[in-house]
Amino acid sequence: MDIVSMFLIVDSVVLIIATFVLTYFFFKDLLKDKK
Amino acid sequence: MEITLIDTIILASYFVLLAIVAFFAKKKIKGLTDYFLAGRRLTLPIFIATLVSTWYGGILGVGQYSYFSGLGNWLTQGIFYYIMALIFALFLAHKIRKSNLFTIPDQLEKFYDKKSRFLGSIFNFILVTPAPYILSLGVIFMFLFGLPKWIGIVLVLAILIVYTIYSGFYGVIYTDFMQFIFMMVGVALVVPFAIFKYGGFEFLTANLPETHLHITGGLTAQMILVWGFIAFWTFVDPGFYQRCYAAKDSKIPRKGILISIGFWILFDICTTFSGMYAFAANKAGHISIEILENGLPQPEVYMIFANSVLPPVIMGLFLIGIIATLMSTIDSFTLLGAMNISHDMYKHTFKPDATDKQVMKVTKIGIVITASFGATLALFFSGIISMWYTIGTVCISALIVPVLGGFFIKTKKPPISGFLSMIAGASVSTVWMLNGYSNLSWGWPVFWFEIEPMYPGILAALLVYILIIGLSKIYKPVEVT
Repeated sequence: MDIVSMFLIVDSVVLIIATFVLTYFFFKDLLKDKK
Repeated sequence: MEITLIDTIILASYFVLLAIVAFFAKKKIKGLTDYFLAGRRLTLPIFIATLVSTWYGGILGVGQYSYFSGLGNWLTQGIFYYIMALIFALFLAHKIRKSNLFTIPDQLEKFYDKKSRFLGSIFNFILVTPAPYILSLGVIFMFLFGLPKWIGIVLVLAILIVYTIYSGFYGVIYTDFMQFIFMMVGVALVVPFAIFKYGGFEFLTANLPETHLHITGGLTAQMILVWGFIAFWTFVDPGFYQRCYAAKDSKIPRKGILISIGFWILFDICTTFSGMYAFAANKAGHISIEILENGLPQPEVYMIFANSVLPPVIMGLFLIGIIATLMSTIDSFTLLGAMNISHDMYKHTFKPDATDKQVMKVTKIGIVITASFGATLALFFSGIISMWYTIGTVCISALIVPVLGGFFIKTKKPPISGFLSMIAGASVSTVWMLNGYSNLSWGWPVFWFEIEPMYPGILAALLVYILIIGLSKIYKPVEVT
């Protein structure tokens, strides 16, 4: 696989992981707020 | 385009989920600040999610533009905006939060006078019209289900109006979080599937014109520059201001915008390369795209391409991602327009003694007015990019000088300077633009001296602004003793 394709796949994977990390912190804040 | 039953069910579930989230958000509303700004309690994750999803609404236009200009899309619709957002984060965000206000017209009254607030709220109202995004939704529903444009628009707006009226800004931010997840995941999946189906960079180089792989995308310097100027939109974007006002403390806006830029970069790479793949797939004969009179591809290009690479279920997720990108912008803009009507016009211009309850009631009516106004515009206009461009040109020319001048020019400013500067910016850019649109060439306007209307508009606003401040220094009022 060429370097550009690898870069594009990594970009997509990082975007998805970053989204779920942000979601984790969102729920953490939400639960803290409820307590 | 044929949509599978499973994808239709996934789409329907998304709308049900929206309603459930809005129902729970409603419980948090205790007063007007909750309804307008979620009680100024936005934490960092939700600040990022709502800003990223709201600011990014023109997904169909981006699909068209990346097909048309390749990497040039990343420069004109991405890089310029990152720079503006960075400047906003470093120099404006904390000032806005510390001002503890509600809207941009609030700032205008603080800097100048009530007249400036009133005029500013009209431009602000036009700037936040959700029309281009409503039009995009109509295009999507017509394309997916073969429904007439107006039926798709009315159906979706009915859901959106109900949940926005019902749950206010709390509903907007919580649904935005959900839409943010769909938007990121749905769009991120397209490029990897395209690589596996059509091939890697070799497929692109074999089927794209050389200009598509150049950062300018073959666009002229003048076209690039005007998109750079349109990115000034960021400095007067009511969505940015509202989120800064709503942040829990003054540090969150700066941090939040900087992290948001990271998300936009990752996301824009996905959309730009999807558009480029669409061009290459069309050239190679895998898909068939219609080209419009102005050289742009049909607005549905992104969906046609995604449908050629994504399997069912993933395609359903992608469609939700596209609709979520639009819905998150429409709900925020609709609430902002309604706040203009209730907070800026009703309370602060016509009825200063209005109670919070009355203001909230007018806001709810304002939500219906804003959404209906946007829907009417959407039914009469046909071009998404041209609508963006027209609204942006006139309203930015009017607002940018008095707003930035208010923040950064420390010298005393006569109250009339804000009002007259807005009039000058808006009238010059409007006349310039109308003249251009009366002389079309290949579907594009031909302007006087081939100069885009935003330049003379901003220049006129700046000259009037400086002139009035200068004159007020020379001719000081004589004090009568």
